[in-house]
Amino acid sequence: MAEPAIIVEGLQKHYGAHHALRDISLTVAAGETVVVCGPSGSGKSTLIRCMNGLETYSEGRLRVLGHDVGDDLAELSAVRRRVGMVFQSFNLFPHLKVLENCVLPQIRSLRRSRADATIEAVKQLERMRVDIHADKYPDQISGGQKQRVALARSLCLHPEVMLFDEPTSALDPEMIAEVLDVMRGLAAQDMTILCVTHEMGFARSVADRVVFMADGRIVEIAPPESIFSHPRHKATRDFFNAMRA
Amino acid sequence: MVVLSQPERPPASNDSALGWLRKNFFRSWSNALFTLAFGGFVVWALLSVVDWMLLDAVWRVANRDRCGHDAGACWAVIEDRWRLIFFGLYPYEEQWRSSLACLAITLTIVVSCVPAFWSARRLPVLWLAGLGIFFVLMHGGVAGLPVVTTEQWGGLSLTLFIFASVFLLGMPLAVLFALARRSSLPVIAMVTGGFIDIVRSLPLLTILFAAAVVIPILVPDWLQGSKLARVIVAFAVFFAAYQAEIIRAGLQSLSTGQEEAAQALGMPYWSVVVDILLPQAFRNTLPSTINQAVITFKETSIVTVIGFFEVMASGKAVIGTDEWGAQFIEIYVFLALVYFAFVFGLSRYGAWLERRMRVGHG
Ligand SMILES: Nc1ncnc2c1ncn2[C@@H]1O[C@H](COP(=O)(O)OP(=O)(O)O)[C@@H](O)[C@H]1O
Ligand SMILES: [Mg+2]
Repeated sequence: MAEPAIIVEGLQKHYGAHHALRDISLTVAAGETVVVCGPSGSGKSTLIRCMNGLETYSEGRLRVLGHDVGDDLAELSAVRRRVGMVFQSFNLFPHLKVLENCVLPQIRSLRRSRADATIEAVKQLERMRVDIHADKYPDQISGGQKQRVALARSLCLHPEVMLFDEPTSALDPEMIAEVLDVMRGLAAQDMTILCVTHEMGFARSVADRVVFMADGRIVEIAPPESIFSHPRHKATRDFFNAMRA
Repeated sequence: MVVLSQPERPPASNDSALGWLRKNFFRSWSNALFTLAFGGFVVWALLSVVDWMLLDAVWRVANRDRCGHDAGACWAVIEDRWRLIFFGLYPYEEQWRSSLACLAITLTIVVSCVPAFWSARRLPVLWLAGLGIFFVLMHGGVAGLPVVTTEQWGGLSLTLFIFASVFLLGMPLAVLFALARRSSLPVIAMVTGGFIDIVRSLPLLTILFAAAVVIPILVPDWLQGSKLARVIVAFAVFFAAYQAEIIRAGLQSLSTGQEEAAQALGMPYWSVVVDILLPQAFRNTLPSTINQAVITFKETSIVTVIGFFEVMASGKAVIGTDEWGAQFIEIYVFLALVYFAFVFGLSRYGAWLERRMRVGHG
């Protein structure tokens, strides 16, 4: 069997005195979709940001796509070229048009020619159904459109793993669906996805497993139907009850 | 006429303009009195200035006997000595070179103000070409142009050259300082921070004196360069210390998400800085940067003190002669207009850029 896409073993993370990640171990198989949820401050963002080195960790082992994520800068940039990330706050580059947002990273990270990068960018913008906005600046489009552009920008690099950190939390309700729709499309293909979200409908329909975190620990890992209907831990049960209320 | 126009209502804007006048200038008796008195003074002052500067002025050297008596400004001094003011001690026969050089620098500045030229590839080429042309014209020694050493440079072309070189050298230096100060290596960040703070706490005059006078004592001959070169480098370091703090503020104003997104996309460090962070930092700090440029332009006059003959010193040299010693007001007004032309141009440009960035984007 192929090596899992992500292997986390005994990960520890401290912010000063605060123990943000406590002995996290998790394996994500290639092509798997894993949803991470848990109360605010439980360490979800910290964990997912460790995966591509935006955050450092204090102890443990982290392998992504066969690269050791750590101090080695060459390994780190290899990981970043192969792993895409979508943020809650979109983080489009406001001084660049939508098309250029997608073209420039390809030129800089993969050394693609501008012509090839443009073809790829248009293709991904079409796939995310935002190609008609290619010539606009980010602050001229809606939140849902911004998030789909951010997704297109990542997909231009043909990532094998996608990390999402609450991609729909900053969106107005009517725009959540359009973003979840395109994410469903990705999950249906053989992309490996690690997604922090509280959209339980989404988790139910696409997640292979759901990870529940609290206080920097993984409390429970289970398939969505069982974790939502028969959570084994009280913290999990309380959280989902609160979500449903 | 009056009868004919009566059925038509006056235009609304007129109406509100009257109302605006009444509200702001004639609200009460004392208010009206003040408005009239102050308005009268302003009108009188303006008329006197126009009288002095234009109507009663003596323009031609031929009429210079009339200067002084009841006449207004004696602009004859400018006609007589404009070459000294603009070119300083630059050899008379070669002054056409100095004017072409001025034009080259001014064009370089104007062209680099056009946003279409703002790319990491075009700007350096443009500026190196502009300063290269300037130097070849001013210094000569090629293509049959006689050599004119920098000690003989002077007047407006020296002012422009100092300003342009300080800006050209200082800007990249400022970027380096700003990046070093936010380096993740504490040693680099602290040393740069300390250096910037020291430079900013010294008067410019001290720094320029050190460059002109002290460096030659401490540094071996071959490393010294000309006095002008030393002064420009020192001035550029001074400019960079201030500009670095402006850039650093611009970088701090960006959300950390910008850098993170670029890193997550695998963009290398230089690209994150050059393509993502710096353009936004410069945009956000444009007014301060223009302001710094204006200050620097005006500060170039300080080099007089260490023996350079820039436009201000050249003007003073005119007054220093018996012949035109009485016309110091005319000379200073003229110098002020020269400075004003450049500084006003710069600040209008800054205002235009800001508007453009608010409306459009790029
Ligand atoms: N840069 C930081 N410095 C200090 N503490 C932090 C920092 N980032 C996160 N934390 C703390 O770490 C904990 C986990 O944060 P985070 O991973 O963002 O939680 P979540 O994404 O689950 O809401 C929180 O208590 C938060 O206050
Ligand atoms: Mg979070």
